[in-house]
Amino acid sequence: MNYLTILTLAQGPTPELMSGVTLYHYLAVSAAMFVIGLIGFMTRRNLIIMFLCTELMFQAAGIALIAFSRFHLNHSGESFVIFVLTVAAAEAALALGLVILLFRRKETLDGTRWTELQG
Amino acid sequence: MDLLVSPILLYGACALGGLGVAFALPRKRVSPFILGALVAAIALGALFIGLGVRYPDQIPNIHFYVFAFISLGGALRVITHARPVYAALYFVLTILASCGLYLLLSAEFLAFALVIVYAGAILITYLFVIMLATEGPTSDAVGALNEYDRVSREPVIATIAGFVLLGGLTTALAVGSSGLTPNTAAMVREQPLAVMPKKVEKALREAKTPDGKPLIQPGERLALASDKVRDVLAAANVIKADQWPLIMPRNHQGEPAYAINAQPTLATGVSADGWLVLTDDKGTMRVLPRSQWPSDLYLSNTEGVAFDLIDAHPGAIEIAGVILLMAMIGATILGRKKVDMDEAARAEAAAKLRQFSDLGQHLGDQAPFVSPAEAQGAAAGSTR
Repeated sequence: MNYLTILTLAQGPTPELMSGVTLYHYLAVSAAMFVIGLIGFMTRRNLIIMFLCTELMFQAAGIALIAFSRFHLNHSGESFVIFVLTVAAAEAALALGLVILLFRRKETLDGTRWTELQG
Repeated sequence: MDLLVSPILLYGACALGGLGVAFALPRKRVSPFILGALVAAIALGALFIGLGVRYPDQIPNIHFYVFAFISLGGALRVITHARPVYAALYFVLTILASCGLYLLLSAEFLAFALVIVYAGAILITYLFVIMLATEGPTSDAVGALNEYDRVSREPVIATIAGFVLLGGLTTALAVGSSGLTPNTAAMVREQPLAVMPKKVEKALREAKTPDGKPLIQPGERLALASDKVRDVLAAANVIKADQWPLIMPRNHQGEPAYAINAQPTLATGVSADGWLVLTDDKGTMRVLPRSQWPSDLYLSNTEGVAFDLIDAHPGAIEIAGVILLMAMIGATILGRKKVDMDEAARAEAAAKLRQFSDLGQHLGDQAPFVSPAEAQGAAAGSTR
């Protein structure tokens, strides 16, 4: 129906309602992106790429939040994405500081070299 | 239980996608990334086609498919590319495509915030760290990839675990979202207009009626909600007088606000799509129904997010501030900390440098990358 028209952006007066099936499209993309991030976190051995994969998972959560926010036509999901961005920024600062420390200690970014940390 | 598509298609797409991702992950011998990405894309496309065939009138707009494929392809490349810098740049591509999805979902403010914060700030930090924390070239492979970037850890098991999770997630989401119906009563996005009289009056003053005359007279302004407004609205047959306590515009302290209501007046039997009441200097009032409002009078996305953030989540803002402060302090402390290399790594680095300087002598004077003295110094001292 509306697949060839550009959907009314929020700058339009009242956006049209979104059906549950349309919502599901966005949620499926979000779930797939989350799982790709998860697989990356488990398989990659480079510490920096592992943290990049957590950012990918944050991003997937953001898409789901925005999709629900659009579906219910309120702004709570969007405000929550702002907090997700905050946490992602804080996490990036701390994680990258840690990565630098770990790199100085072993001169390598290989995560499998830190197996003595296991409990 | 409604899965929206047939279970065979849903789980088949998950399995096929898992196969594609497992193919695409870097491994010892040649990893067929193109083939893997193609298989995963076919799986995603099959799911979308299945949804589109069953619900042809509810599919999203065509730009959704473009952005979805670009963002997921970028994400796949982030976890499969062997060079960290390229992986980070593909992450930027994923972010930009996600911004496209945000725009389709009417979240402009966050789309641009995402470009600025993620693509602009966080990713640059990542790139700097990747370049700071890169090992020097080794003798056997100058400029080649590190072994831990070329070979991934347990790709098959991780992919199976991930895609079993994806199967569960998509099933749950399908069952859940098939039961959801859009709630028209929740359309309160424009209610904050009642506390923004300056914005409303500016839009009204700039507006013209179809025959070119100004929409409102110079002395007219937005009226405050009062009993007189109620009588005017009831006389114009926009509301019924007994509804007034329910729908009177109020500010956040519950006091009467400016007489504007962008909501369809519910449960009335009167077909008014929203209204505002103007008053002039003499106190005469008139109703402007929503159909006559200027087209640029609405709450923009940025204003909506701002109202929601400040009005509904003030405590969360404080907590976010504390988190950022803690992260700043923590990063500063971590950055100042002096770390010694551990024994094994030090020995390894020394061996590497020795081998490397030997290689330089073999090559003659052509490539003395590291002098033996420097090598000794670097190996003995702690690195900062």
